[in-house]
Amino acid sequence: MCCSNEEHAGMEAEKLTAADLEVIKGMHFFDPHIHMVSRTTDDYQAMADAGVVAVIEPAFWLGQPRTGVDSFRDYYSSLIGWERFRASQFGIKHYCTIGLNSREANNEKLAEQVMEILPLFVYKEGVVGVGEIGFDDQTPAEEKYYRLQLELAKEAHLPVQIHTPHRDKKKGTQRSMDIAIEQGLDPYSVIVDHNNEETVKEVLDRGFWAAFTIYPFTKMGNERMVEMVKQYGTERIMINSAADWGISDPLAVPKTAALMKIRGIEIKDIELVCYRNAITAFGQSGQILESDFQEVKNIDQSKKFQGNTVLRGGQAPRINKGSLIIS
Amino acid sequence: MDTETTRSLTEVLTSIIEKKVNQETCQWLLDKAAQSADKNNNYQLNLTFTSIPRHTGKEEIVLEEPDEKKINSLLPGFTVEGWTVDRLCRVWLLMQLDSSDKEAYINRIENLFPQAEMNELVALYSALPVLTYPEAWRLRCAEGIRSNIGIVLDAIMYHNPFPAKYLDEGAWNQLVLKAFFTDKNMNYIEGLDERSNQHLANTLFDYVEERWAAGRTTSPQIWRLTGKYMDGSHFYMLDKLMNEGNETNQQAGALALSDCSFEKAATVLDQYPDLKTAIEQRKLTWQML
Repeated sequence: MCCSNEEHAGMEAEKLTAADLEVIKGMHFFDPHIHMVSRTTDDYQAMADAGVVAVIEPAFWLGQPRTGVDSFRDYYSSLIGWERFRASQFGIKHYCTIGLNSREANNEKLAEQVMEILPLFVYKEGVVGVGEIGFDDQTPAEEKYYRLQLELAKEAHLPVQIHTPHRDKKKGTQRSMDIAIEQGLDPYSVIVDHNNEETVKEVLDRGFWAAFTIYPFTKMGNERMVEMVKQYGTERIMINSAADWGISDPLAVPKTAALMKIRGIEIKDIELVCYRNAITAFGQSGQILESDFQEVKNIDQSKKFQGNTVLRGGQAPRINKGSLIIS
Repeated sequence: MDTETTRSLTEVLTSIIEKKVNQETCQWLLDKAAQSADKNNNYQLNLTFTSIPRHTGKEEIVLEEPDEKKINSLLPGFTVEGWTVDRLCRVWLLMQLDSSDKEAYINRIENLFPQAEMNELVALYSALPVLTYPEAWRLRCAEGIRSNIGIVLDAIMYHNPFPAKYLDEGAWNQLVLKAFFTDKNMNYIEGLDERSNQHLANTLFDYVEERWAAGRTTSPQIWRLTGKYMDGSHFYMLDKLMNEGNETNQQAGALALSDCSFEKAATVLDQYPDLKTAIEQRKLTWQML
């Protein structure tokens, strides 16, 4: 998740041309952090066209605080229900991580109730981790619920997706890792997200997965990301868009892949950072089957039922965005 | 379903599952079903219901003919053909819950809905025709029809004998309208012809006029549910179909004319002797459209 878009002056209104993504044509991408509930069907279409075959949607906050536990229940339900279906209409396999985000952990009365319903969701099909959890303001309440959720992840044998704070980031990241180890988690089951040049070395040295969020103005830019891969290689490194309700880019993964290609990074390395490593890390949940990526593409269109082709659930009909006519 | 039918159907489904999963999984299912049956063991029911696909996988069921016949004789209109094995196992699990305490039984199953995952919802709605106390599931079924998740709607609408048998007219009509709005295959809806009614036909007349005003097409199956209810103010629709429609529309129009008791209908149909003969010889039926 992101939360501020303070500085978007100087944003260039350049349009991406098809040729820019041509260099990665035919490649498949996995975006392991994106908040699709805030995105439109145009985004889904563009992502599918650019080669995104699967996504992970971490549970986060909604841009403003919720006031009751039922709002959380309905939100979690939507991640394993409606949003999953919406993605399937575009041939994209949708997974999620479930957790109580750090900001709302500060409403302790509500946080208690949310902790009670989390076990109902973490065992569901396609839930590939507990996330995104960790620190925001780094308060005692945040620490309390972070620890409790690490316990839950351990019990459910699920990976953990850690959101690292915007403010006081370096110390917040270190503290998140210290606590995960104190709670007895294997660093290999923990994905530390939103890294930058200042945090990545320690994360990798301590055996954690390092995720980078390509997000304009506030997180990583993709030119810097190319340099990161050149410097640190590909082991336990992955990228994501964390696209949400802020100014963000759901094509961040394929665009960065294209930039890597143009700047001379080998295809096999691009594949690791933009696809394979996320599957290896979150696949520890036992919930990711690559054959399902193909299945979700077939599910609506080609299956035969009693000799007839059935629209199972209905593939979204494609609309011509280039046309002035809306019919 | 009564206890005896439930028992027989469970036996058939058990034998289908045995053919589809390995012995270890089968034993796991039997153990968990026995534990979940107990009305005080919600923890086990929730956990088992959720974790079934991890054990069974999601391979598709292809029914052998004897099984298909047995299922259809026990519960006409119902089939598990084309289901994934986890969906079948989830429904099978629900069939084995102790139903002697009505309130507890209903609550246990209702409690699975609010945080159900997409495929769990499919299984839950597929189970409606095999649950005990059918009248208790009417509102749940009507609620399911409000879903926008395509595969959930399929589970309620396709090869599911529950809605036609138990929904009141209003809820039934919503199901049919929703099916038209979401381009469902009307031939898979159980009881479609038997439950046609004047209110539904009136709504469909309005729907057709709205579509035509927008320059959009309509499903030929609409005429299957309106032919019998034609009146003077809507007969122009059939004229329009016969005069301006494509081949499918003309076929639907002819079938509607043959369903129609309105006196002009026979005269109009006489102008299309080929279609008339095809209908008489059952070479043209609604199921073909």
